[in-house]
Order: sequence, then C-alpha cells, then structure tokens
Amino acid sequence: MSQVKTNSSGYPLYPPKPAGIKGQQKLLTAILTFGFLAFLPWIPIFGWLTIFDTGTNYGLGNLAFVFAYAAAGIGFNFLIGYSGTLGLAHAGLFAIGAYGSAILSAPPECLEPTCETIIRPAVSGYGWPFLLTIPIVCFFAAIVGVVVGFPAARLKGFYLAIATLALGELIVKLISLDEKLWSGLKTNGGTGKQVQIFEFFGSGQLKSAYFLSLVCLLITFVGYVIYTENRLGRTLKSVRDIEIATGPLGISSTYYKLIAFGLSGFAAALAGVAWAQNSAFVNPSSFKTRLLVFLLVVLILGGLGKLWGPLIGAVIFVYLRQEFQDSQKLLFFLIGTALMIAILILPKGVASLPDRFADSRWVQDLRRRFKAMKV
Amino acid sequence: MNTETSTFPLSLDDLHVSFGGNRVLEGVDINFVPGFNGLIGPNGAGKTTIFNVLSGYVKASRGAAFLEGKDLSELKPTDRVSSGISRTFQSPKLILDATVMENVLLGMHHRFKHGHVTELFRLPNHRSEEDRAREICMDMLEEFGLAEDAHKETGDLSLGSQKIVEVCRALVAEPKVLLLDEPAAGLGADDVTVLLKGLRKFVDEQNLCLVIIEHDLELVTSICPIIYVLHFGRIISEGSAEVITSDPTVIEAYLGKGYAPESNDGEGGSDAV
Repeated sequence: MSQVKTNSSGYPLYPPKPAGIKGQQKLLTAILTFGFLAFLPWIPIFGWLTIFDTGTNYGLGNLAFVFAYAAAGIGFNFLIGYSGTLGLAHAGLFAIGAYGSAILSAPPECLEPTCETIIRPAVSGYGWPFLLTIPIVCFFAAIVGVVVGFPAARLKGFYLAIATLALGELIVKLISLDEKLWSGLKTNGGTGKQVQIFEFFGSGQLKSAYFLSLVCLLITFVGYVIYTENRLGRTLKSVRDIEIATGPLGISSTYYKLIAFGLSGFAAALAGVAWAQNSAFVNPSSFKTRLLVFLLVVLILGGLGKLWGPLIGAVIFVYLRQEFQDSQKLLFFLIGTALMIAILILPKGVASLPDRFADSRWVQDLRRRFKAMKV
Repeated sequence: MNTETSTFPLSLDDLHVSFGGNRVLEGVDINFVPGFNGLIGPNGAGKTTIFNVLSGYVKASRGAAFLEGKDLSELKPTDRVSSGISRTFQSPKLILDATVMENVLLGMHHRFKHGHVTELFRLPNHRSEEDRAREICMDMLEEFGLAEDAHKETGDLSLGSQKIVEVCRALVAEPKVLLLDEPAAGLGADDVTVLLKGLRKFVDEQNLCLVIIEHDLELVTSICPIIYVLHFGRIISEGSAEVITSDPTVIEAYLGKGYAPESNDGEGGSDAV
C-alpha cells in the first residue's frame, strides 16, 4: 500500500479510501467487467438469451454493436454530461470514423488484367494498414469536432444544438455526394461501401470485430475515467455549472468547450471504426439523425454523467432494437416510452439505480435492523 | 497618470459605466491601498458594477482601472487572475457536486504548468504538480477551519462555509488584489471571526489589497481603516469609519432627507461638513 499523502498538519490531500479491497472497488469492477466481456466469446453464458448469445455469430455481433454505441456514448457523455455543451454533430463524427477507416484501409483501385484481383472503384481505397488508420481518423475527427464546436463560442443551449446538428448533417451529406463530384473521397456516394474486415491472429472476422469494439470501448472508458477524475474533469464541470465565474478564475470556457468537442469527436470516430468493422458495410443513411437520436437514448437511458451509463444504455437499446427489429414502429414506441419512464422515474438513468436502491427508505430500514441485531 | 497609479495596487480613474441610457457609474476615482478597503452604499449604487468592470464582465464607457499601473482593459478577462486580481461573488459560484478540495483547486488553474496530455498519461510531473497544488489548497482550507470538510461534497456545506470556500479559492490564486462581494452575508458570527482572522493574516504577511463590499456597516466600520461610500454611481464620502458615519450626505443617502443631523446640533457631524 502506498502512503497516504497529507499536508504538513496531516490532512489527507486525496479523498480517503477504505482499506483493502473496498478501496479498490471501482478498479476491480472495471477489471472484472472487461475481463468477463473479453472471455464471453468462449464462455457463452448468455445462451438462454438469443440476442446476446456469444456462442452464435448473431449474439457476438450484437454485443460488438453494444460496445461501439457505448464508446460513442462515453464520448457524448463527456461533451454533454461534463461540459454541459449540447453539441449534436455526433452522428457525423461517428461517420467520419466509419467511412475514414474503411476508405483508407481498402485496397487501391486495380482494373488491369495483370492485377491479382480486380478492385473496382466502388470498393477501392488507399491501401493503408488498418491499425494505422484508426488513430488517423480519430485525430481527424477530433479536429472536425473542434471545428464543429466553434459556434459554442457564441451560442448556447438549443441554438448551439441546432447549429451543430446542421454541421453534423453536412458531414453526412458530403459523404453521400456523388462519386463524380469528388472522386478522391472514394465514398461511393449514396450506395454505400464495403468494409475490409481486419482479422486479429486468424480469430475470424466476427471475433476480431468483437475484440476491436471491446478495445475501443476500453480506450474511451479509461480516457473518460482519467480525465473526469483529474484537472480536466473539474475544469469542465466549472464550465458546465459556473460558467459565469470561469473568467475571473482564468479558465477560458470556449477553449474548454472546444476540448470537450475534440475529445468527444475522437471517441465518436473510434466507435465509428468499430461499428463499421462489425457491420462490414457503411451507408450514408446509417448516420442520419436517427443514429444521433439512438446515441442520445443510449446516454439518457443509461445515465447522463455516469461512468457506466452508456454501456448499460447501449445494452438496453441494442436488446430492444433486436427484439423488435421486425416492427420499427413498435421499436420507436418502446424506446420513446422507456425514455419517458427514465426521465420521470430515474432522471439520472439506469446507472443510478443501485444508488437509489441503497438510499431508499426500505434498504436503510433493513440496514438499521441488521445493525441492531449485531449489537 | 501611470506614474501616479503604479504606486497603488488598484486604482480607478474617472470610471464611467452606462447600460444604455442608464448611467451606473459616473466618474469614480479611487486609489485602493494595501489592507482592508471598504466599499459601501445603498442598493443599486454600483458597487458590484465596479467589481464587474475589474473582472471584465462590463466594459467601462469612459475612464480606466489600473492594476499596479497596468491598464486592466488591455488584459483579457481570463488573463487577469494571473496578473494578480481575484474575486468572489455575492452568491457563491461553486460546483455543488464536486468536493470542496476540487472547488478550491479551480483557483489554482492558472498556476498549473503541465497540460492535459501529461494528465492523460499520468506522467509523474503531472502527479507531483497535482500533489503540490492540493497541498497548497489544503493549507488554505486549514487556515479557514475547513480542512475537515475538504473531501465533502460542496453542496452539503452551509451557505456560510460555501462563502468561505469561495474566499479560499480566490486566495490560492495568490492575488495582489482580492475583491470580496458581501463575504459576510449569510455567515454566522463564528464564521465571520474565522474569515476575518484568515484574511488579516494575508493582509499582514503579503500586503494583500482587499476590497470589501458589505452591507453590514458595523462589520465594515470595525475592520476597514478606509471606507468609500458609493451613491448613484458617485463617491459621496470617503475616509475612516468616524468620518463617514457622521457625514450628513451619507446619512441622507442611507436614511433619506431629514434624518441628517443639523450642522450645529449633531453629535459628531459638525466637523464633517
């Protein structure tokens, strides 16, 4: 155990942690959860639940989608939950990740008979190594996120939401531009593009996509934890709660909003890469406002500003989507209802349920009785 | 002008502010000295507006404010704290769901040298800087009797304690000039004692210039050797507690015409006229 850091009079500098395992509860929960998820493809304990049965390709794919949505949700959480900035260009940034990695990593065009395989323009790209394209598209999306965030310097609330929504739509429109107008983009216009699937150590396409999605989620998760618990987290909170007072504190609220936009763009693109790998095909219509609404549902249902919120929200969302995939109307009805119930009964989302339960009168009463019995 | 103003930590030179046709400040000239400076006046006199000009929320329509001879209007609002001016607000502006320590740490924001990339990779220089900052903040909280509450959620503290937390946050920025907007409003007698004891220490040891807006006349007159009375955007009286409390124009501003003692039958008013 490391020594507790104190000031000269012995007051601890960091919030005191309970000794032993209890103090490491958060870390342990994360390790156990991610370890469990990493081993799920080999131990399909959700066999009874077809949608998440990891023994089947179907269940494996669904869980990978959960991870991708959760990663995007974490990035979104950072922007909305922490900096309190309503930026709605997330679907466009997600598309940059999905399309960017697909195009950059696809093999270059080759129509000569001497080619080993004929690569038509529709499936061609730039032939870069896939793993290299991930950081490139993520940093690119972060820059685009910052650019999209510029209206935040002057706009707030709904006005900012509308401005960023339009910019996000613009990205998707650019992608669906006809090939002839902008051939270098290689997006293949509105018809969509095949995605080359990257395989880790010959583990099969689906398992690879699963692990890639899990790693993407882990990266955003760790980044979120580190940032929210340190200086950036508290500075962003000050922008959210006491923006009026940030000037005299030397905190530029615009600068920090742009940082939040950039980081959320990075996470959105990372999620987009995972999503594209898992769906093997990208199409502009997948990234329309509907995706944005889905991501908002994931975030609000799970719990705004909660660490585990987006993952829980994504599980519920993907479950509902798969269960009711034959009837879109019913799906939207159910999602809307779930959202309303969440906002009415659990404003802090499903992730706040354990706290609510522990604070409830019933549990408090039980605890008191238990204590009395011990004595 | 600059040679004169540079000898004072903070000076206001012919400061005018108007919102549309509403003239809030009409030519305020004050040279604040190190130590406690009181700024009083009836509601709507323009006291907080002076603070708002100093922190850059409001632009002066004429005149200027100088921080050690440097024109404040040349500095961006976010750069002013590193030049040595810090403030608190009438109602505390704190993040209620963050700990007290985190709120106080915000005051040190401009003193951090390492960026957010070192933070992400948890490099040792970031850790040591954070440790040092926390130590400074903890010492400050201890000074004001809040060390026990450092890791509590700020929203759980009483309003009085929250106001003291805000003062701590302003002080860890190492200001030369500290603007306190009604620091004692809502504080219990014990809290006021703790607050004043802490502030006095900074005034004595670091020659801090404190400007206090306060409605509690008894408090202001007991701690401030010099008090400025603002009324309808003008300084109507300045001087020691005895001078201003016996000044008929001040009494008139506070209580209305007719309450001011006549120049020959007032207790101490005769010398002030």
